[in-house]
Amino acid sequence: MPSVEDIRNRIVAAIPGASVEVEDYTGGGDHFRATVTAAAFEGRSRVEQHRLVYEVFDGEIGGAIHALALKTQTPANNQPN
Amino acid sequence: MSSQFDPVPMMSSEPQPVPATSEESNPIRDAIAEAIGEHKVILFMKGTPEAPACGFSARTVAILQSLDVPFAAVDILPDPRIRQELSAISNWPTIPQLFAGGELIGGCDIVTEMYESGELAQTLV
Repeated sequence: MPSVEDIRNRIVAAIPGASVEVEDYTGGGDHFRATVTAAAFEGRSRVEQHRLVYEVFDGEIGGAIHALALKTQTPANNQPN
Repeated sequence: MSSQFDPVPMMSSEPQPVPATSEESNPIRDAIAEAIGEHKVILFMKGTPEAPACGFSARTVAILQSLDVPFAAVDILPDPRIRQELSAISNWPTIPQLFAGGELIGGCDIVTEMYESGELAQTLV
């Protein structure tokens, strides 16, 4: 069962320079919520940004990871609003 | 708002023979691609708009209904091949998936974000 740290480390490893916050929102080790801030997202649509993160867990989402709720943003638009 | 959505059957009642090898003909994939092309707004979800079988699908339906957007809906649960073929077409691993004008808008997170920013209403209406 992946931990919050596993999820975070794998995203950081795949998207260098990303700032990642992960929460296990049911406490059950299979429903996660991640906020990923990365310069790599610049110039990409939201769909493409989410795909970049989903690709890290190819085949595991819907399996061991039941849900991975995502919020993606670039450092430039990471402003409180 | 009783019949605001338009259910799209993906399965005939006759079970289709599954080809042993990969073949050109893929009726489920073709039916999905056709449905995405034919409907201005179409949601692939778990369950139905009246009886969603997952919180993420329920939230997405509630957003579409609150915008008063007519949409077609496909329940992916009756046959695992629907989800498999859908994800192969869309390159998107999770359910729900919302399409408009033949393009993937996103899953529940993106739909929620776009709803909150007002962008979804502009895209769909």
